[in-house]
Amino acid sequence: MPLCYVFLRMHSTESDESHPPDTEETSRVNPYIPEIGKPVPRADAGAKATGAEKYAADHYGEDLLWAGVRRAGVAHGRIRRVDTEAAAQLPGVIAVLTGRDVPGTNRQGIVHKDQPVLAVDKVRHCGDGVALVVAEDRATLQKALSLIQVEIDPLPGVFTADDALRPDAPLVHEDHPQGNVLLKATIQAGDGQAALAGCDILLEDTFHVPVQSHAFIETENGVAWQEEDGKVVLVVSTQAPFRDKWEISHALGLPLDRLHIIGPYLGGAFGGKDGATVQCLLVLAALHASGRRVKMWWDREESFIAGYKRHAVRMDYRLGARADGTLQALHCRLYYDTGAYAHLGGEVMALGMEHAGGPYRIPHTLIEGWCVYTNNPIAGAMRGFGVAQVSFAFEGMMDLLAGKLGMDPLELRRKNALRRGDRNAAGVTMTQSTGIGDCLAAVQDHPLWQERKAWKRGAGPFRKRGVGVAAVFNAMGYGRGLPDSALAKVELTTEGHIRVYSGVSDMGQGNATAFVQIAGQILCQEHTAIELVQPDTERTLPSGSASAGRTTYTYGNALIKACEELHRRLIGRTALMLLSDTLDDLELLPGRVKNLASGREIPLTVLAAMMAPEDRVCISQFLMPVVRDKLDTGKEFVIGFPHLLFSYAAHLVCIEVDKLTGAIDVKAYLAATEAGRVLNPQSFEQQVQGAIAQGIGYALCEEVLMEKGRIVNPDFATYIIPGALDIPEMVSLAVESCEPSGPYGMKGVGEVGMNGPLPAIAGALADACGIHITGSPLTAERVLAALQKQQETP
Amino acid sequence: MTQVYLPRTLAELWSYLEGKPEALVYAGGTDLLVKMRTGKVTAAPALICLERLAEIRDVRETADAIRIGAAATHAELLRHPLILTHLPVLTQALHTLGSPLIRNMGTIGGNICTASPAGDTLPPLYILRAEVELCNGETIRIMTIEEFITGPGATQLQKGELLTGVLLKKPVEYNFHHFEKVGQRKSMACAVASMAALLRLSPAGVIEAARLSWGSVGPTVVTAAVVEDALIGEKLSLETLAAAAGKIKQIVAPIDDVRATAEYRRSVSGNLLLRLLDARPPS
Repeated sequence: MPLCYVFLRMHSTESDESHPPDTEETSRVNPYIPEIGKPVPRADAGAKATGAEKYAADHYGEDLLWAGVRRAGVAHGRIRRVDTEAAAQLPGVIAVLTGRDVPGTNRQGIVHKDQPVLAVDKVRHCGDGVALVVAEDRATLQKALSLIQVEIDPLPGVFTADDALRPDAPLVHEDHPQGNVLLKATIQAGDGQAALAGCDILLEDTFHVPVQSHAFIETENGVAWQEEDGKVVLVVSTQAPFRDKWEISHALGLPLDRLHIIGPYLGGAFGGKDGATVQCLLVLAALHASGRRVKMWWDREESFIAGYKRHAVRMDYRLGARADGTLQALHCRLYYDTGAYAHLGGEVMALGMEHAGGPYRIPHTLIEGWCVYTNNPIAGAMRGFGVAQVSFAFEGMMDLLAGKLGMDPLELRRKNALRRGDRNAAGVTMTQSTGIGDCLAAVQDHPLWQERKAWKRGAGPFRKRGVGVAAVFNAMGYGRGLPDSALAKVELTTEGHIRVYSGVSDMGQGNATAFVQIAGQILCQEHTAIELVQPDTERTLPSGSASAGRTTYTYGNALIKACEELHRRLIGRTALMLLSDTLDDLELLPGRVKNLASGREIPLTVLAAMMAPEDRVCISQFLMPVVRDKLDTGKEFVIGFPHLLFSYAAHLVCIEVDKLTGAIDVKAYLAATEAGRVLNPQSFEQQVQGAIAQGIGYALCEEVLMEKGRIVNPDFATYIIPGALDIPEMVSLAVESCEPSGPYGMKGVGEVGMNGPLPAIAGALADACGIHITGSPLTAERVLAALQKQQETP
Repeated sequence: MTQVYLPRTLAELWSYLEGKPEALVYAGGTDLLVKMRTGKVTAAPALICLERLAEIRDVRETADAIRIGAAATHAELLRHPLILTHLPVLTQALHTLGSPLIRNMGTIGGNICTASPAGDTLPPLYILRAEVELCNGETIRIMTIEEFITGPGATQLQKGELLTGVLLKKPVEYNFHHFEKVGQRKSMACAVASMAALLRLSPAGVIEAARLSWGSVGPTVVTAAVVEDALIGEKLSLETLAAAAGKIKQIVAPIDDVRATAEYRRSVSGNLLLRLLDARPPS
């Protein structure tokens, strides 16, 4: 990171001449003003690297109790009996609770409240909890869990979307009015599928993507305890501390003011901690623990079995185009398997449907979606929320079309790329920054694309090389129907520091660093004088979930307003102290406000001592703008459709295929990403690279395997995520545009990179070997089978 | 709480074993501790860890042989000059084993005693005709690795007996060593199929001698004289290798599991032979 250090030194000398001269040792720690656009080191880097930063999992406490859940182990069945007698009598067991002991509604769920905290009558997937145990230690807890006698009468289950949609299918939720269909929805634009008839070229294919696991390092966990006044405090690894509070209150019947949620930095989440995991269970346990702290921490296997997943989807596509490659019409049918409970299934599908046509102009579309309940593990939010799935299909169709037309696949994409002012495939007018064309141009100009033919000729014996491209996009923000709002709070402390109260979690994506930069930019303070408070429902303010690529955008916009207000106050109050009759000469500088005309200054510590506490705190709200088009479609979506803002990316991948084993070796990767302006080049690149790595896993090897709803690979020895050797050098190009509604012109960049690797690698495989695989992941075994089939068919 | 003994001499080890005959013996623990966590091995009365036993950790040579102490770690062997010089096929296999962390803990003796069909050192040890040295404190038994490993996870190791060393003749009659593993990713991967080969190639490219073995495609490592015979005396060519590949596909006995189907393993067993087309004797 030599660049960072150069930058730090420059600023430290500029900002404060009284600093001692730089030495090799001090140059690294000299204060600097974190500013917008600079590769400012992560605000959490030092504390995390030294182990000082405490994740939820690092919280213990004296006299700690352990809680754990007995899982159903049966995918679908009626609970006949849960006998807790033997477990309850085991010495060291504090409490054994079942669904009948849950006060309140015993129902969790972000949109649909259909998931019990502990199942009472029926279990709908293997991970359903049937009993909760609180014990003195982990060994006793395990013993007690094994002593619980669970009698379940198995019911026939449904394990694919197709099965679930059969008229005689067993019902996962008997009381759901639409049977196993959680949501059926339609998006139509132009003449819909009727326009397919008039197309010069009509292509169709079906694509399948499997269940993916988030595979975060820190599994679901938390610590809870009840205070003397009856309030329950919960420290939890969560993406949505404020929503957790509402969910717990609803499920357990506790008043909101009896819940206090603290959400430290997360050890990864990717959407898997957006929604209730341990929250209700832990608060319930705390209510039976006489004020003692109770910890719950799922092991990896439990995280697989009970945690959320990415939806498996079947995608039937028909794409029509003119002979010159102009896209004309699209019809697709998408079947999302949402598992046993709704979670955000309908919203995930809505976003997938909204993106089903890709970042292209397609005047006539009919996009149909079915989100269905099955007895599989619960599917929910995951980076690339419903979009990573359809990206495989729409880009697969584009490659097919390019092949059919004998057209350069990149040229075909550029020709149809959305521009500002166009309507997208959902019929929404693109009024904001729309940079996919520029991203594709950047890829086209890059040596990896320009020199690809020579590179491909260099493949060794039994190897083939191919280059693939993908154009992808990802909406940001909640979309219409759900206010995407944040409340920023910033304070001048009595120590003269700036304290930012972040209400929106940082799970590693780097929004906390952006908040420090915004405060530094506006308030001109050194990084050592800027403090960050992570989400805490009693200190910070509701700012929505860490999701939808919205954290820096929404909270950042609110924070700008709050910091500007604080800036005005600091200048204004200084005027009183310095007896200035104008504000024009006053400048906020590191640690002080100075009258540049007179040279007099007031330290911020003195200013803070003068100001009343409420005067030192500024709060501001931001509400994200929404689409203004009046759409006569997508009416089934109560929330989350349509979206105003999208980030865009064009990806290029170079692969080598081993014809003897079928293994794909990813040799080089290029991503050109448009997410408005870049606030921090380092954070931006980290998001792009992390998403590509996760996307390569999705493309090549990640697949949750199930037998009748039971996961057969619930660990990292058998659920294969890529390692360092599987990820190539990744080149990230920032193709900047200005998004006027964003803080300093930015848009969210966390998700879009997830959507490119699978279609790009599938395209590269087709380029290398002429095989078109429509079921992912592209494992060596699938590739070899396709190669053998290709050889057999003349 | 499990008691763990850390003997520093073999004498200490035998006395611990006498006192706790039911104790489980391990070296790096990369298999045993995983199995204990998942419950595949239920709690033992005690554990005896071999990592501090210098007596069985060194590598020595005689004029025509090499003896590897059973508790030598994979990482130690990877950088050992005797192994690098004389046993490149073993080095190649060790490179693919686990990760740096696992190679720092795991040992060659452990890999042999675990007797997994997917054990990465086993295919090389089979074609090197390795012998194992078994000791119970009083007597020493020596047998070939092929005799020692009797099935998946099964060996001839008797109660109270310890694998103390691996004995290898220097394979001077071979001038080409090759190992390849197919896994689900490039590191930290259990073998889906693997192949080890020793060849002697004449300057004209004729295969004068060949030994081959396959991992993860049968209950134990697969060797096949019929395949070796098909190669010996032939010119190294695609036709020769393809013919041998056809034969080995008939011989291997793979299973379907969570990593791959039997069918894939069968195909790859043959295909890996084709890689030998690149084989060249060292110039």
